[in-house]
Amino acid sequence: MPATNSESKSSLGVAHVAPGEFRLRIAYQKIGRLRFLSHLEVLRAMERAARRADLPYSVTKGFSPHMKLAFGPALPVGTAGEREYVDIWLTTYEPAEGLAGRLREASVSDLAPVAAGFVAAGEPSLTAACTIAEYEVIVGGDGARGTALAESLKTLVDSREFAVEHKGKKKVFDLARSLPKEHRVESCGRGATVDLIVRMGPEGSLRPDVFVREAILRASIDASIDTVTRTGTLIEDSEGAWRRPL
Amino acid sequence: MSSSEWERVERLLNRVERPARYIDHEWGASREPGFNYRAVLLYPDTYELGMANQAISILYERLNAADEVLAERCFLPWIDMAAAMREEDIPLFGLETGLAVRDADLFGITLPYELTYTNILEALDLAGIPLRARDRGEGDPVVLGGGPCAYNPEPIAEFFDAILIGEGEEAILEIANVHRRARDGGADRVGILRELARLDGVYVPRFYQPVRDAEGALTGVVADTGITPVVNKRVLADLDTFRAPTCPVVPFMDVVHDRASVEILRGCTRGCRFCQAGMVYRPVRERSADSIVRDAIASLKCTGYDEVSLTSLSTTDHSQLEDVLRRLTRRLEGKGISVSVPSLRVDAFSIDMARLVGGGRKSGLTFAPEAGTQRLRDVINKNVTEEELLGTVRHAFDAGWRRVKLYFMLGLPTETDADVLGISDLVRKVSDEARSCVEPSQRGSIRIAVSVSVFVPKAHTPFQWDPQLPRDEIGRRQDLLRSSMPRKGIELSWHEADVSFLEAVMARGGREIADAIEAAWRTGAVFDAWTERFDIGTWLGAFASVGVDPASVAVGEKSSNEILPWDHISCGVSRAYLARERERASEASTTSDCSFDGCTGCDACDELGVEIVLGGGTRGAR
Repeated sequence: MPATNSESKSSLGVAHVAPGEFRLRIAYQKIGRLRFLSHLEVLRAMERAARRADLPYSVTKGFSPHMKLAFGPALPVGTAGEREYVDIWLTTYEPAEGLAGRLREASVSDLAPVAAGFVAAGEPSLTAACTIAEYEVIVGGDGARGTALAESLKTLVDSREFAVEHKGKKKVFDLARSLPKEHRVESCGRGATVDLIVRMGPEGSLRPDVFVREAILRASIDASIDTVTRTGTLIEDSEGAWRRPL
Repeated sequence: MSSSEWERVERLLNRVERPARYIDHEWGASREPGFNYRAVLLYPDTYELGMANQAISILYERLNAADEVLAERCFLPWIDMAAAMREEDIPLFGLETGLAVRDADLFGITLPYELTYTNILEALDLAGIPLRARDRGEGDPVVLGGGPCAYNPEPIAEFFDAILIGEGEEAILEIANVHRRARDGGADRVGILRELARLDGVYVPRFYQPVRDAEGALTGVVADTGITPVVNKRVLADLDTFRAPTCPVVPFMDVVHDRASVEILRGCTRGCRFCQAGMVYRPVRERSADSIVRDAIASLKCTGYDEVSLTSLSTTDHSQLEDVLRRLTRRLEGKGISVSVPSLRVDAFSIDMARLVGGGRKSGLTFAPEAGTQRLRDVINKNVTEEELLGTVRHAFDAGWRRVKLYFMLGLPTETDADVLGISDLVRKVSDEARSCVEPSQRGSIRIAVSVSVFVPKAHTPFQWDPQLPRDEIGRRQDLLRSSMPRKGIELSWHEADVSFLEAVMARGGREIADAIEAAWRTGAVFDAWTERFDIGTWLGAFASVGVDPASVAVGEKSSNEILPWDHISCGVSRAYLARERERASEASTTSDCSFDGCTGCDACDELGVEIVLGGGTRGAR
């Protein structure tokens, strides 16, 4: 039997659980061919999996009651994610491992939880808190094997600014701010792996695929992007330290 | 499909719209190993439309539940994907394992709507299967059709090896088993088709030859020796023989009717004389309340949907609906899961049922008076009076609704300008009634959506002999309606007359139409049901190129003793009954509903050897 809210607060070790609700944070993967799902499609699929798993989810009040949940920053169509996040509010407490296990059973393997834990009710929302993203871009093709790609990326970064045009609107990224850590390029079986850390924010985020594609173009090499994966999402606190949301 | 083949497909997904259409891996998709018979089931339009199709869902479940059978889904790739597949030489494939359709044993294609016919040719071409059945070889799959348009299969008959007339729950496995046995026994293609033609409900067009007189008029469709001269539809005696699919594939992308559904009854005997579904799905068979509740709950549990729809042609006619809705709403309380009831009748009971399931939601109600005057409603046997409609509207607006949608049809047999103006008049009365129920400060929120389609004469209806109006006359009547329609709070929408014209040609035509369909496809017609893709010019050019006058097919009146292209197909309702109903229409006499008031002599029950099945034993007062 699940514990009642009042009984379970202390066992959670969470100081600020809202009365009647428990905030379960789930880390999940969106990999393989399911990387082609849009954020809305992921949202819908996760809701359905939660119902199939019979999680004790909270329902919003009002004319159109629906499951109470909130996602982290959206992933573009075509970009995989190894550790994405969603918070689901629950009406009763049950151990997180058991809930995650049930959710995994009710999910397809390429879009399934990898970890879960409870967080304090007063934690900032995932979209506001998650401002750092780690990406891995696999570049295929013979042209990716030499040093030209790495050199082209370095030249791009050194230029300090990167302009993109989307739907007729031009946007200029300050690369010192958008790329808070130095990128890495390593050879791999298919060509090269580019690891990028990107700062996200309400003003827009630099898309790693766009950035790397520009480097390929400028290097005039025979290469193309095979896959883009967000390998992690991090919270940056007021002191500038980074931590995982879970 | 091997991983390297999938990689070829995957590379295309970065450059096409809505890649989720092509990726499979949804919850509930079937990939059981160990099979020796492979079927691909195609919905001849995009994924987001096809995933709503209950027939595909039922057949998919039935086939995959059978021993050593694997069925895969297939939808027509959108134009961008089709072009990319042709460029990369990737043939049409089933979603689950990526099986090339041309390597399947059976290629099942549902026939939902006349304007998907060019899509069928597009699918066959993408699959690398010859378009005409006669050109297919021993290695090609059996191309099997079925669905609503099968009741006049002639325009597309030459593209199919076999067409199932009627309901598929039982027939699909019989077809698969007979096919497999014949194949394993070494039968050639014609031998296999001959075996299939022995099955009840299976029409194999190559064994039927249309015969024409010197003037080119059809004098009959003659069956080869040993082949049944008339193909009777298959019908399931009791819906409860099979459970509704409770674990269907759950799509990732937003599809139409994106919810769990339980078909709570099949058939409708209200007897609207223009309505093909009301004739061809007879008799009425209800699922029992217990099985509806059981299947709805099981389906929600298995799929995770937040809504379950109780579907049918006429859901509020179910004899135990109130009991079902009370039980479901009690079971689902507090879970954020809703129940929806489509196809409302024009009466207070329907409003009460909508209120019961809707909770606080009042999104909109839809009613179909179909005609603007009582005379014309009597002609079409739409047993709804103006008083009933206004009373229902009053009940709905008193209960808090602020939006209603009204369906009408233009160009019905015997329609006059007075009937056209009657639509505007009725809409005005509905609007006045709604306004009288609502506080003056809230009247700005009242919306009456009026949707006006064009009459299309359909096979196996009392109006199958009646012509569609010429397109210019439809245009004149649309102008008349538009100019007389009240404006305030009214949203008027139309069905394009050109689209309805083409529907009528397909609905009434014979085998001569096949050449025009192919010519239209070869000149670029595909996805004709999509407004932005439909081009009547392409079609008129296609008809001209093959020497067929489409107007004579759509707007020509047929005499009641004329041989019709679909006379060798029977839905159980007798031609004599249809003729009698047409006669009664001309007298503006109405006919009652046999599921409430006793037999009206359509012959379907006797002809098909089945009976009306009512979950509650009887239906109450209407």
